Amino acid sequence: MSADQDGGSKPFDPLGPFRGMRDAYMDAVSKAMVEAVNTEGYARATGAMLDNTLAVSAPLREAMEKSMLQVLERLSLPSSQDFATLADRFTNLEMRLDDMDAKLDRIEKQTHAASPATDEQPAKSPVQDPKAEAEPPARKKSAAASKPSTQKTSPRKRTSGRKAI
Amino acid sequence: MTQTPVMTDEIALLEHRLRTVSKVMTTKAAIAQTPKELVWAVNKAKLYRYIPVVPPQLRHRTPLLLVFALMNRPYILDLRPGHSFVEFMVNQGYDVFLLDWGVPGPEDKNLKFDDYTLEYMPRAIRKLKAITGAEEFSLLGWCIGAILTTIYAAMLPDDGLRNLLLLTAPLDFSDKQKLTFARWTDEKYFDVEKVLATFGNMPGEMIDYGAKALKPVENYILNYQKLWDNLDNPQVVEAWHSMNTWVTDNIPIAGGAFRQLIVDLYRNDRLMKGELLIRGQRVDLSRLRANLLTVIASDDHITPPCQSEAVLTKVGSRDKEVFRIPGGHIGIMAGSGARKLTWPHIDEWLAKRSN
Repeated sequence: MSADQDGGSKPFDPLGPFRGMRDAYMDAVSKAMVEAVNTEGYARATGAMLDNTLAVSAPLREAMEKSMLQVLERLSLPSSQDFATLADRFTNLEMRLDDMDAKLDRIEKQTHAASPATDEQPAKSPVQDPKAEAEPPARKKSAAASKPSTQKTSPRKRTSGRKAI
Repeated sequence: MTQTPVMTDEIALLEHRLRTVSKVMTTKAAIAQTPKELVWAVNKAKLYRYIPVVPPQLRHRTPLLLVFALMNRPYILDLRPGHSFVEFMVNQGYDVFLLDWGVPGPEDKNLKFDDYTLEYMPRAIRKLKAITGAEEFSLLGWCIGAILTTIYAAMLPDDGLRNLLLLTAPLDFSDKQKLTFARWTDEKYFDVEKVLATFGNMPGEMIDYGAKALKPVENYILNYQKLWDNLDNPQVVEAWHSMNTWVTDNIPIAGGAFRQLIVDLYRNDRLMKGELLIRGQRVDLSRLRANLLTVIASDDHITPPCQSEAVLTKVGSRDKEVFRIPGGHIGIMAGSGARKLTWPHIDEWLAKRSN
């Protein structure tokens, strides 16, 4: 293997012919298996196997779930269903917050556009400096102060929910 | 007298090999290292922005959003430094975003394509636009991500989508003879309702088994044989390690989405027939007008080429192109040849349409 990498002359490999035979054999088996799994028989067999597994496990699973639910109820603890419902409500809340965030963005943008041109910021470029967007307002301000004429700053000030990875 | 050192060498070599095998089989490779920041999150979905390395004035004006499949981790797009599509595109001057669907929990079992395409994607795209200031954007969908992006593009054609790139997109399910998955998931053999009643979501392990069973010898034997034969080659070992890290990191598909995939697509081919309903509205592919590039892997056994071809005849796009590449479902984007063939072509196509 290392001789192959070096690109030099290959030393005699006594196992070479066996490797060749092995590869040819595996290739043939591989092709046969690909054809075998692509048959109705294989689909029927795996389907039946899955059905049987589910059928056998279903009563056990149901019994487990029922007893778990009873235990949780007695202990006044929420069930997984309760958590699922709660998660659903959280997601709805997240989406509403996201919509509100977008609306605030829009209002902020409109307010900025409508305000008299006291601050001589350059027009918003389609492609902005990501650092200007990512930095918190205080740091943004100092950065802008250091490079007043060239730094493009975003009109947005809220930077919530952004984490460097 | 010379036998002993040779034996010692052989034993040391064997020990080294076994140690390497143990390491790559039991540890996770360092993957997804391109610097990024989290810019948006709802439920499990997260939107990342990769930190641009090209100055703003040299960057392409149209940002690119990557959407991967639901059943695997999206870091296959950013596998490891030097072998990362994301890194390549960032270096080419694209403002790259990644929509990571996350891992659905039991509480997400009812999530459907409807939610992904009409709730999550538009919100993530809205955030992308707010951050970049761009009105237009490009979308790249891979595998089931391509189904989602296609549905989105047809449902919301006026949302600013300029370029749509579909990689190994399973959209056409009409030719059942060529689709092993279609055979396995036929209603005669596979009771999708029973599976979802049991598990809620479709377990990642079952999806993994299904994908590997398409080529059982390759996946269960030859894959490990390749590692064993190349244990002295650090480059091969490193590549194998990172790919194995990704392959073994399976996640479930939300039950609702899996039901749609099997019933609406694999069994009834509703997208191509124009019968797929999303929130009660028919998905009309002729409404898709974005510039379209379809990348087809000619040796793809998961999404055979026949599944990605017909979409071109259905969409309303004027600018559309097919790019065929020799290789498999994952290999065309994450294999050793991707850097020389697939990525440059995507960049070339997209660059012309991103300014």
